[in-house]
Amino acid sequence: MRLFEDPKFEFIHNRKIGYMISGALIILSIGAILVKGLQFGIDFRGGVEIVVAFEGTSPTVESVRSDLSEPLGSIPEVKTFGADVIIRSDADMETDEIQRTILATMAQVHPENPASIIKADIVGPRFAEDLRNAALQAVLFALGIIFVYILIRFKKWYYSAGAVAALAHDVIITLGLFTLLYDIVPFSLDIDQAIIAAFLTIVGYSLNDTVVVYDRIRENSLIFKTEAYDNMVNRSVNNTLSRTFVTSVTTLIAVGILFFFGGEVLKGLSFALILGVILGTYSSIFVASSLVVDLQLKKANN
Amino acid sequence: MQKTSSTKIFFIIGFLLLTGYYLQFSVRHWLEERHIETLSDQERIEYRVQNEERLTHLRTNSLSFGLDLQGGMYVTLELATHQLISELARDQRDDFFDEVLEAAFERSRTTNVDIVSEFVSEFERRDAGARLSRYFHMGSDELTRASTNDEVQAYLNNQRSAAVDRAVEIIRNRIDRFGVTEPSIVKQGENRIVVELPGVEDDQERVRGLLRGTARLEFRTMPQASEVRNTFERVVNLLNETETIEPEDEDGEPETRTRNPLTEVLIDIGGPDIRFGYATTQDTARVNEILRREEVQRAIPANMELLWGSRTEPIGGGTMAHPLLAVRANVELTGEVITDARPAFDPQTNRPEVSMTMNREGARRWSMITAANIERPVAIILDGIVYSYPTVRTQISDGRSSISGLGGLAEAEDLVNILLSGALPAPLEIIEERTVGATLGEASIRAGFNSAMAALLFVCIFMIFYYRTGGGIANIALLLNIVFILGILSAFKATLTLPGIAGIVLTIGMAVDANVLIFDRIREEQRAGKSLIASIESGYSNAMSAILDANITTFLTAVILFSFGMGPIKGFAVTLMAGIVASLFSAIIITRVVVDWMTIGKKFNVSFG
Repeated sequence: MRLFEDPKFEFIHNRKIGYMISGALIILSIGAILVKGLQFGIDFRGGVEIVVAFEGTSPTVESVRSDLSEPLGSIPEVKTFGADVIIRSDADMETDEIQRTILATMAQVHPENPASIIKADIVGPRFAEDLRNAALQAVLFALGIIFVYILIRFKKWYYSAGAVAALAHDVIITLGLFTLLYDIVPFSLDIDQAIIAAFLTIVGYSLNDTVVVYDRIRENSLIFKTEAYDNMVNRSVNNTLSRTFVTSVTTLIAVGILFFFGGEVLKGLSFALILGVILGTYSSIFVASSLVVDLQLKKANN
Repeated sequence: MQKTSSTKIFFIIGFLLLTGYYLQFSVRHWLEERHIETLSDQERIEYRVQNEERLTHLRTNSLSFGLDLQGGMYVTLELATHQLISELARDQRDDFFDEVLEAAFERSRTTNVDIVSEFVSEFERRDAGARLSRYFHMGSDELTRASTNDEVQAYLNNQRSAAVDRAVEIIRNRIDRFGVTEPSIVKQGENRIVVELPGVEDDQERVRGLLRGTARLEFRTMPQASEVRNTFERVVNLLNETETIEPEDEDGEPETRTRNPLTEVLIDIGGPDIRFGYATTQDTARVNEILRREEVQRAIPANMELLWGSRTEPIGGGTMAHPLLAVRANVELTGEVITDARPAFDPQTNRPEVSMTMNREGARRWSMITAANIERPVAIILDGIVYSYPTVRTQISDGRSSISGLGGLAEAEDLVNILLSGALPAPLEIIEERTVGATLGEASIRAGFNSAMAALLFVCIFMIFYYRTGGGIANIALLLNIVFILGILSAFKATLTLPGIAGIVLTIGMAVDANVLIFDRIREEQRAGKSLIASIESGYSNAMSAILDANITTFLTAVILFSFGMGPIKGFAVTLMAGIVASLFSAIIITRVVVDWMTIGKKFNVSFG
């Protein structure tokens, strides 16, 4: 099957449209992050998080919340976790006490439906801060290393700038969508260690796409020396379009399956990967390649 | 061309053999476990004993599952370095020392600085010319009065490192006595310990106690009831607050009322007693807060300390409350003299207790203490809580004693464990704890396995649909790729975690990329009019630079992820790295050999769609 047999789409000449879409998404994302703040999970803000499984059907989130409010002395955050219930409490108690209180209360309210703790995470506030710093460092460090690697391999700073801009674009918009969709989707979009792992993978994937296009640009720039730079870049994007499409499809198949069948623990991670694959594919064309054209033209004009 | 192919085939066979060697342990281990499951309980035990060596060998060499898959408890502990520093200075401490340490401690909590270096620089900031050695040289052979502050800093760092090592040993002893199969206890960084306990999920409370318990056992005498009463009255008077309530009507006299924040939460005993007062469980925190106030501390004699009792006592009206007990500040005897301890039952009340035997020095001093305190209580204190305060009836000269006031037999057993494993050099704080139940773990394995299979199936179908013969060849490479990943993980004794499985699924999607690059290039070359063989030749070579660039950059991000990530996330990074290496090998070398073999001599009709 050949879907993109020698395609001749006008990507680069319409890059202004791409810039507008990306610009709008970035403004929306940054706005959402500034207004709502990043929704950190247990890893990055600390606290106690407990997943309770019931033998029968789980009671509603609202009832669990109101049943526990008084015994815990503070209103816990309660959400669904697949078929189970996840409870996050900042009650001023020892961990032992919180767990005992939750189980005792549930046993009292639902005597016919025994509950048990199937997962518990406890993160101290200072440790959470350590994790937050480490995550931030990892993301910044990754972007830095990539800038340097592309600089060494492609020897032109605007390639590096385009690639890193595309990566930052992907990460910011993913973060923004996570924040915007936080209360809308029925699964957890808390930003935790797994999401940072997803971000770095997105960075790796998006880069993969960008580098393949860049590689073709470099090759074509030697073959089509007389061609206008933007036409040459557009030709390169079209040359690699079939590959970009196929790899995106196979990767989307994998992460899509992970999202639907991988279980509740991996929902956030696989959702981030789905967004990342789509954004990464888009940005390698409309951000990374387009920026290379503009930066190169600017340089040529000087 | 023939020659390069044979080198490639040699590599492929070598790699396959190596993978096979590492994977056979896992396969054999799995088969053994299945065999054992068919046996009866009795046979199982016999079989395990008879084949212990072989089974252990298989288990240690097979691919292991992370705690998030097999269920268990993962705990990060941090050594309270400020308390260690304080202990090291011992009697040399003064108010200035405490202030500096407190400031350094606060700063190390809020910012990302190391407490030891912060302590030294804070000291120098406040008193530039002074030497820290004056606090530490008494307790150390390495330091003299003339040691520089840098030497003291090195000494403190060494002491901390040694203390963490000791704590690791003690924790290992405690866990071994508690009984966990294949626990892992390792030092992490300067002052942290990571404890992994597979299979532990119901005993979280007990394990927390075992990990944290410093087991500082102390025997102290207690002040006279009259002295306690006097102090109580002094403190209460100090805290009396008088408030004037304006009368309702204009003619009425203003009413004065006395309020006392302490007696609102602390129940007055009403007469001389060794107990300072009683408080219900929820009020103890409030009482502590009042007692910490500076003016209250001044009103309490220097040789008196107030500590809570471990158990609630009935105080009439069906109410149970914790006694607040007055004990002497001076410690008569510590747990270091204990040579043996075991759980027992009090013959009178039939309640669990811990009976202890002391060494000769301890027995001698215990004998003196009991002789001097006949008909008076002695407090037995563990980690700052009074467990019991029995009244001495006769002099005890055989060095025996017991701790009662325990919650149950399990607590008695844990206490024995902690006492015998030795006291921790400084308290450990649990800063991270993650527990996954075995059922959730099993569900995760199933979900992960199903996802991997489904992803494999759909990607394979898509590849054949899009690239025909080429797709089929890429699928062979993909299948081998997964085998290679598992082989690499086994060879490096990596642990398979849930994010790790996610990494494998992701790799299934991304691993075909190298082949996609090659096949698309071959199509382009064919379109340019080249023959099939020539197209294959230039397709592989022209795609190579893109493949390498793309994979090296992805590998770099995986390395960064590996160095930042903790626990399960490391597993994700590891499978990504293994996936990149394996997919490069299978996509470039294996498919090339297969494509060459199929095209040379036109044995098959090869199509790239």
